[in-house]
Amino acid sequence: MNGFTKTGVRVSLCLIVFFALRLGAAGTVDDAQSFALQAAEPYVKEGFQVREDYWGGDLGSGEKKAVRQQLFKGNEYWFWMGTEVERGKISVHIYDSEGKLAEQPDSWEKGHFAAAHVIPKATGSYFIIVAVEESPEERTHWALVYGFR
Amino acid sequence: MISFSKSLKFSAIALIGVTFGAHGAQAPQRIDIGKMSKQVENVVVPLPNEIFGALNKLGSVNWREYVRTEKTSNFSDRPRIALLLGTVIADGFIAVQAEDAPAVKEIGNRVLNLSKGMGVEKSITPHAKAITEAADKRRWDSVRKELDSTQSSVQAAMNELHDEKLSQLVSLGGWLRGTQVLTSVVNKHFSADGAELLHQPDLLMHFQTQLQGMPEFNVPIIKDIQKSLGEVRPLVDAPKISPESVRKINDITTRLDNGIVTKE
Repeated sequence: MNGFTKTGVRVSLCLIVFFALRLGAAGTVDDAQSFALQAAEPYVKEGFQVREDYWGGDLGSGEKKAVRQQLFKGNEYWFWMGTEVERGKISVHIYDSEGKLAEQPDSWEKGHFAAAHVIPKATGSYFIIVAVEESPEERTHWALVYGFR
Repeated sequence: MISFSKSLKFSAIALIGVTFGAHGAQAPQRIDIGKMSKQVENVVVPLPNEIFGALNKLGSVNWREYVRTEKTSNFSDRPRIALLLGTVIADGFIAVQAEDAPAVKEIGNRVLNLSKGMGVEKSITPHAKAITEAADKRRWDSVRKELDSTQSSVQAAMNELHDEKLSQLVSLGGWLRGTQVLTSVVNKHFSADGAELLHQPDLLMHFQTQLQGMPEFNVPIIKDIQKSLGEVRPLVDAPKISPESVRKINDITTRLDNGIVTKE
């Protein structure tokens, strides 16, 4: 192999690696949803029925979004949030229609997973606040799924 | 959308690591919801079985009384098929509550036929098959999951065809049938907790907003639903929902349900 060919091969390899990394970094909301569902998985064994519908989008660091959801007294709900950005930190919290924190103390967040647990005291609208607390990415995909029993 | 079953491919090991050491979130005790109004996403319409599950916890319900399998009219109008499809999927959830396997299978076939009318049968065929198989084995949780997947798939397929409005009508049809059955049950044995399940004013507003965005669907039943939701909303937007309100909502939703399943 002559020098010119060697350089060409190196450049090609660099380009392949570069684009592979770019593709790896450029996740989608579907990827985020996979992580949200991953967070939900242990709860399915406890009888939670996970809805197929989900919310998703992207947020910058420090940004939050509210999701409004009708919940029914008598049911128990978990909301699971995920992002494909592994070094990201996300959170999810549940408030009632008056803006009062309504979640159970066993709600949790850990890196690119977060979950909030609610046993509604009343039937009505609740607000699920999702946030990207920290992220190395300019925009971070997020997805939120929920389950009930 | 990635199906839930696909997610099972992911390792649970990572999750075990995650839940250990996960901490309770430090969240403010109160927030100003009004300040977040521009950042609020639309609601996901609850499935009928979400409401039926809560209703079941209040006392035993004779679900067989509400099972409906008789064949409905054939429609060519796509908005009418969409409404009917939502209603039939809700009937599927009722049949599951009643653990009525023949009814579930019959409903599975009807869902498949209606989705043919919408041009989305390809995405429904595997679910219809799974519903039949699960009903034969009396795996009710699997049937519930497949009914949810059916609705989700049919709506995703409609969205792909840029038929988002028809997809919204599927949800609306399901909600109307679910509300009709909920009010029938509560009407029979009134309880304040049962009536409270009707406290869904934001959901009513959500449907009203969607219907306002469908002027092109010049179908009498859709106009009727739009008008009737305006009558239902003040009845459910009360701290205590009276037996009289429950009866009125039942009358309205029964009339609308008849309009959905019957050719005028």
